Amino acid sequence: MNMKPRDMFVPVPDEAGDIGAQAERWKAQRFDPQADAEREASSFVTDVGIPIKPLYTPADLERIGFDYLKDLGFPGEYPFTRGDRPGMNRSDPFVISAYSGFGDAEACNKRFRKLIDIGTEQILVALDLPTQCGYDSDHEMATAEIGNVGVAIDTLADMELLFDGIPADSIKRIGTLGNSIGPIVLALYAALGEKQGIAWDRYTVNLQNDPLKEYIARGTQILPPAPAAKLAADAVEWCIDNAPNWSPMTVCVNHINAGGAGSSMGTAIALSNVRYYVDLLLARGRSIDDVAPLLHMFPDERHDFFISVANLRGLRRIWARMMKETYGATKAEAMACRTTVYGHGQEALAEPLNNIARTAFGTLAYVLGGASYVYLAGYDEAVSTPNENSARVALRTLQVLANEHGFRDTIDPLGGSYYVETLTAEVERQILDGMAEIERLGGALAVISTGYGRRVMTEGAVRRQRAIDSGVRPWVTVNKYPQKPDVPNSAFRGDKQAAERQLARLARVKAERDAKRVAAALAEVDRASAENRNVTPAVLEAVRAYATVGEIVDIWRRRFGTFVPSTDF
Amino acid sequence: MTAMNRAAARNRKIRVLMAKVGLDGHDVGARVVARGLLDAGMEVIYTGLRRTTEEIVRAAIEEDVDWVGISILSGAHGTLLPKVRRMLDEQGASDIRIIAGGVIPQEDIPELEAQGVSRVFLSGTAIAEIVDYLVRETPDA
Repeated sequence: MNMKPRDMFVPVPDEAGDIGAQAERWKAQRFDPQADAEREASSFVTDVGIPIKPLYTPADLERIGFDYLKDLGFPGEYPFTRGDRPGMNRSDPFVISAYSGFGDAEACNKRFRKLIDIGTEQILVALDLPTQCGYDSDHEMATAEIGNVGVAIDTLADMELLFDGIPADSIKRIGTLGNSIGPIVLALYAALGEKQGIAWDRYTVNLQNDPLKEYIARGTQILPPAPAAKLAADAVEWCIDNAPNWSPMTVCVNHINAGGAGSSMGTAIALSNVRYYVDLLLARGRSIDDVAPLLHMFPDERHDFFISVANLRGLRRIWARMMKETYGATKAEAMACRTTVYGHGQEALAEPLNNIARTAFGTLAYVLGGASYVYLAGYDEAVSTPNENSARVALRTLQVLANEHGFRDTIDPLGGSYYVETLTAEVERQILDGMAEIERLGGALAVISTGYGRRVMTEGAVRRQRAIDSGVRPWVTVNKYPQKPDVPNSAFRGDKQAAERQLARLARVKAERDAKRVAAALAEVDRASAENRNVTPAVLEAVRAYATVGEIVDIWRRRFGTFVPSTDF
Repeated sequence: MTAMNRAAARNRKIRVLMAKVGLDGHDVGARVVARGLLDAGMEVIYTGLRRTTEEIVRAAIEEDVDWVGISILSGAHGTLLPKVRRMLDEQGASDIRIIAGGVIPQEDIPELEAQGVSRVFLSGTAIAEIVDYLVRETPDA
């Protein structure tokens, strides 16, 4: 094994070979494993199932065959374990980001201005459920849902209002999720730049645009998985040719982990989804060096701090090796996995201010793990979309993490820790095993069609619930130190007139737009969809003509059919 | 006798329709509770995602359930839960009762209860507490 510098790990050189035996001796003589087992031993098993030992030593590094140059290397260099960029947070701090949206564009624009005013560098727009599911605000399915979990966007007119006074290039990145309507949200952001007179290469758009995880985890799926993935790939492909500086796809672990899969299996499923999208684009004759730099990952771990650090580091290593060895990437940008994270902890309904501490610790793990774009949940997210106060506290918490305590003074500060390197190798092994299992199953689509993904998630969620019910996983104010007295929990609500304003604006846009131009543009979307062409140019023209989100999605519903949700549990 | 045993020992098993209403796509909670109730010896049917209030009421009546459990995290509870209650009553199914869970602000609970939702279980509730409630509140057939 190649372990340099040696003396960093081995304080007593002549006993170096016996560290493993010495550790066993210490454990038996000094540590008292009996008492440890009688304590809350079960709580030393992480959410991903890796048991945590009382002490890690160089013997652990030997056991995992740790090799500095092969396993870690240097930041911004293969295999990118220590960071996707050379300077990381020291020279180029993580981007302070906010996910925000509620009501209609008019109300939401005011919130955005305030967020930018206090230092937000990236805004990802939270869309309401009708928009995400491809229904206009005047559709029957939108009843009671307009502006609830995000802002309602029906047409380009809403985008113009949403970014009124906020030039597309005035902050580092703008974007949204739009998982099931990728080409439409991409077109809305492209057309917004045109309206504001800002060229596409002068601003950066980030989209989630990851439909495959919706079928097992997040639930905004519209079409069957294969056509949905095809449309998502269309958006990426359009960016390769027109806006290579944008990041039109963020493949998510987040929702899969939160739904019960655990962060290792969640990462395995997400990376299998990456492979599916990449294969689609390579089949169109695109090169991996052009495709991979446009993709981001959205890792997630909310239970165990050090597993979170290990997950980020392991993910970067797996991504680099996959891109280089499996796909033959040659550019560093294709092998460097850029990450977006959203800081959570185990947020509780009880005493919501405690969630500030939980999310700060959860986010610190991401910062120490080297995430590039960092969001942080509002303390009231367990009960509603964030109110103005919680959104501000989330931003300030990120600013504290970026500026106080010295968290970003050195790169990959936990690298070389016996504990963290061992966990990184163990988490990496879990992820690779999961990917191999999915491969045997038939790949990303089989995860959905066989029910495998749902099964993994339900079983994990049941296991978590049992751990909470039994107290094995301590949760302050929930199963330990129950709250006394009862602290009330209040929910943010946008103004009641937002839905009415949205419906009125939609009616006005529909009445005033050039109906012929809309019809012609929609007909071209239909043709492009039928002929299996990239739909993005046609969608962009329809969006410019003020076609609605629902009108475009209806074409796809007719062409591709709709997904029928499972009733298994 | 524990609630779990009592649930299993009843003459007629307690029947529950677990439902997702509207566009809300988060169904892990609904599935975990469904599993828990099944493990406690109840008969459980799950509607799957994105059901209209009409579909839920129809399924509840056709399946002759004792309870409809609605999981909702989309903020539309104030409109959709009372609507399901009203439609059940209109169709002569006042005996079918509603429990709810998900993301529902505490301050909304009194109004939901006034509108005929029997009980709201907030996140963090142990499954055993839900089982206990259903066993206690379901009339023995």
